[in-house]
Amino acid sequence: MSGRMRFLVIAIVLLAVAVASRFFLFSGDPHVEVAAEKLFSIGGFKVTNALFTALVVDIILVVLAWLATRNMQLVPRGLQNVLEIILEALYNLLKNISPKFIDRAWPLVATIFLFVLTANWLGLVPGATSLGPCMAKEHKETARLALVEEGPKAGSIALIPAAAEKHNPYTTCPEGTSLIPWLRPPSTDLNFTFALGLLSFVFFTYWGFRNLGFGGYLSKFFNLNGIMSFVGIIEFISELIKPVALALRLFGNIFAGEVLIAVLTFLVPLVLPMPIYGFELFVGFIQALVFALLTMAFLSIATSGHGDEHHGGEGAHGADASKAH
Amino acid sequence: MEALGINLNLFLAQLINFGVIVGLLWVLLYKPVQKILNERTARIEASLREADQVRQQLASAKRDYDAEIAKARKEAAEIVAQAQERARAQEAEIIKQARSEADRIREEARAQAEQERSQMLREAKDEIAELVTLTATRVLNAELKATGHDKLIEESLAALGRQN
Repeated sequence: MSGRMRFLVIAIVLLAVAVASRFFLFSGDPHVEVAAEKLFSIGGFKVTNALFTALVVDIILVVLAWLATRNMQLVPRGLQNVLEIILEALYNLLKNISPKFIDRAWPLVATIFLFVLTANWLGLVPGATSLGPCMAKEHKETARLALVEEGPKAGSIALIPAAAEKHNPYTTCPEGTSLIPWLRPPSTDLNFTFALGLLSFVFFTYWGFRNLGFGGYLSKFFNLNGIMSFVGIIEFISELIKPVALALRLFGNIFAGEVLIAVLTFLVPLVLPMPIYGFELFVGFIQALVFALLTMAFLSIATSGHGDEHHGGEGAHGADASKAH
Repeated sequence: MEALGINLNLFLAQLINFGVIVGLLWVLLYKPVQKILNERTARIEASLREADQVRQQLASAKRDYDAEIAKARKEAAEIVAQAQERARAQEAEIIKQARSEADRIREEARAQAEQERSQMLREAKDEIAELVTLTATRVLNAELKATGHDKLIEESLAALGRQN
């Protein structure tokens, strides 16, 4: 059998398995909730699955850091080697954007990368987002993606109000309850992405003020220099939008990936979600890197004055980097 | 906001959590890694410097070695030349001695041969004289009478002595 023929046979078999799985594997409605769900409360404080996952990511990172650094060798091997490679590559990449501020930004930016990467990939571990307790549904004004069972759009997937949801016949949860996954990537929780965006904003703005002086930094936005005064206002607005853009970019990409996998798994449980899993691994990495790189680029822009940008200084590098994404 | 799940408490919790993990990783990961990277850089730089020194020492040692070898070769060549010179002188001496020895031996042999020849001649002359005398005596006894034969014998002997 020639290579081409073999490929064709494998493709047909996989397609058949994928189509067949649509009819004998039922996973119930895809679990898609915009807001992170409450798992439990501690003294009135609501712990959501996104916050719980953030704590799990903390533990993973701390354990990895401890394992990698407990017995450091000049000739690295194993985990120490892996982490050194990652950190050194990231350090050199960020150093290109802003050589002057790399050492100040390093702990924050490196943690952004490692934390977001671990969180994003944790959501892709099979079972991570499909195992959890059955909990009473909260009746709130929210909508979920679910299978429409009645009416002209029956059989399709649409946003339906939570209140209109019916009990999923394929779940093991008793009626009136639904499955709340233990783990949910923090990047799919706006609280986390906004917290990260704000932290990044405060960080680069602080260094902007510190490097250029109070007046110097503000004069980038507010000046009486003809057309530049108008450009300054636009820059000021875009400056305020930066943290929001950072937060929504991360949330949108990772949340969309989770929804895509959930819906695809619901429609065609086998074979088809596989390449999407691969793609989401890539997206998870890229978004972590983009957040880190943009924080560094914004820091570079914030710490360079007008003159620097015109003379191709750090600001120019930063601007290029931000345009690239 | 509620539908999107945005909640001030959760927001602050995430903010604090992230701040804590930045601090933890700073202490547990970035600092030790930075330290080991710096140590490694220092070690590599020191090793490179040492390697450079060793290379220089090696080059210097090689130069010394080459110089020593050249010197030794020169000395060896001188020694060989001297030895050859000496050998040539000895050879000439030995040949000279051998030649003079050979000459001496030849001279001696020649002298001895000459002596032996002279002696042999003398003996032969004597024997011949005796023989002649005897023969003459016998012949003359038969043919000549006693007068004048002694004179004849002497004349014969004198003639014989001249011939030799």
